[in-house]
Amino acid sequence: MNLTTYSTDPAGLQSFYEAIISAHDTYAPVEKFGKYDFIKVDALSSCNPDSPIPKTMSVKPLFFPKSARVMKYKATSEGTELSDTEGDPLAGKRVVLGVKHCDARGLQVLDAVYKWDYVDTDYEKRRENTILISTRCNEASTHCFCTSLDYDVEKLDAFDVAVINGLDGKIYLQARTEKGEFFLKENANGLTVANGSAQEEMKQQFEKFAGSFRLKMDYSEINEKMKGRFDSAVFEDIPANCVSCNTCAFVCPTCHCFKISDEKLKDEGVRYKSYDSCNNVYFTLMAGGHNPRPVKYRRWRQRAMHKFVYYKERFDMNLCVGCGKCTISCPVNISIFEVVNRVASSMQE
Amino acid sequence: MICKVEKIIQETPDVRTYRLKFKDDSLTDKFDWMPGQFVEFSLLGSGECTFCIASSATRKGTFDCSIKRAGIVTADIHRDLEEGDEVGIRGPYGNWFPVEELKGKNLLFVGGGIGLAPLRSLIQYAIDNRADFADFTILYGARTSADICYKEEVEEWKNNKSLKVVLTIDKPEDTWKEHVGVVPKILEEVVKPVIENTKVITCGPPIMIKYTLMSLDKLGFNPTDVITTLEMKMQCGLGKCGRCNIGSTYVCKDGPVFTYEELSKLPDEF
Repeated sequence: MNLTTYSTDPAGLQSFYEAIISAHDTYAPVEKFGKYDFIKVDALSSCNPDSPIPKTMSVKPLFFPKSARVMKYKATSEGTELSDTEGDPLAGKRVVLGVKHCDARGLQVLDAVYKWDYVDTDYEKRRENTILISTRCNEASTHCFCTSLDYDVEKLDAFDVAVINGLDGKIYLQARTEKGEFFLKENANGLTVANGSAQEEMKQQFEKFAGSFRLKMDYSEINEKMKGRFDSAVFEDIPANCVSCNTCAFVCPTCHCFKISDEKLKDEGVRYKSYDSCNNVYFTLMAGGHNPRPVKYRRWRQRAMHKFVYYKERFDMNLCVGCGKCTISCPVNISIFEVVNRVASSMQE
Repeated sequence: MICKVEKIIQETPDVRTYRLKFKDDSLTDKFDWMPGQFVEFSLLGSGECTFCIASSATRKGTFDCSIKRAGIVTADIHRDLEEGDEVGIRGPYGNWFPVEELKGKNLLFVGGGIGLAPLRSLIQYAIDNRADFADFTILYGARTSADICYKEEVEEWKNNKSLKVVLTIDKPEDTWKEHVGVVPKILEEVVKPVIENTKVITCGPPIMIKYTLMSLDKLGFNPTDVITTLEMKMQCGLGKCGRCNIGSTYVCKDGPVFTYEELSKLPDEF
């Protein structure tokens, strides 16, 4: 299928956004206390699709909520009754504006685990019913290293519509998936199909963007080297300051570990699925007291190895998209970029 | 799926077997499992735990979960759950003992404490298909005679002429007439297994497994002929929640049954 690119200007983009917000359930980055979170909006003035990357939380909670009800139960005189929870608030048709490249890529990484073997149907439905429209990524921020990982921003099909700056104040809207193509066609009011120079202009834009990265690494070399670094002494050294707050996992677009817990009130109760993290000491603690990862460095080793070795072995993707969110949010400034580079370049004991 | 607790058997001071029956009868036939698989067991309100199915599908109608009081949910189960009560069950999950591969082989079961539970599903299965297997030996150890699980059934096994049963406890007791000493020692000194055509199936506390594997190695067993079942913290059972990851392996999907050879290739995390 041919994917179309449309052309517009800043004012046209504003009206495109406004038209979407008035016609669809729309989520976009909304500022609160200096940070941006993706929430439902009803006017463009209340949100900012071009919110700064370091200050914007991941879109992950729109697909994998921090805490979700999965089941209800009730004890009656007839016995126990199980029931589904009332409607999923995230299951309807919706559009998300201002999705960062790294974030969208994170969803592709989550697809792999949620759709292998047993399919998480709640997750699948939320994904299917969502149109993702990208932000304009013009410049890398301090901790960004998305271009170092195994994907190409220029061809990224993780979102349905890419929004890209052209030359002389022009803005291009490019369909990246079939879903995006249909969506753009339906909402193309006021947009014109781009002419031949669009491709060249976007390419220049990408090159400028790619050149703005402070952090760069060769991921395939990292993958290969880390395979043999399970016993690296660097693991014992790096997380010394870690306070095990788990923030890195909660803000990560790819971390997907969860826990299942029950909440009971008299004869009724709800079962929840909530975020958890391998940095949590209780994560692998078994009844009876045995814990295969009783100390911090082993949990950190699991985190780093899972991201750059194990997930790659299993699903052929890194469990990291180079967004830098964990580093920005870490209270003790641990950088995953630095961790994996130090581990990879350490000598095997 | 809702199950009714049909019977509770106090096996040892801290282990009880819960015999479960589906509330919806039509599920009894549909629910099929292989020896070594596990279920997620919910005491609603307290939470969910992972337990192996400790009985064989060749004895259908009910199935058993043997539960040791060890943590928060298991303490609640022991305290609150009574015969006639209802529990939630998901499953069966995980892989199983390679029964086809075991056909025609000598079977040597080496169990310790509550580790007999997952072996029991295969032992029952093999007894019910006795003609499929050659020699049949069970070595079972516990800390004290009171800690022996399935006491009546172990007696039955002893009386079964087609099985060889060796029992041991860690320290001597006045009324104890069987062997005394830790499992690996008895394995080497009393059982003295033949290696030819034998598959070893073992489960027990980590320390017993460690030394048993060393003994089997010393006796000359090939790691591909030693099969064990792993304990790992699990929650979803579906290869999603990430808890049971060892390397790129999901113990809940790719396991819990592994050969010693497969285990030795995983990162050293158990």
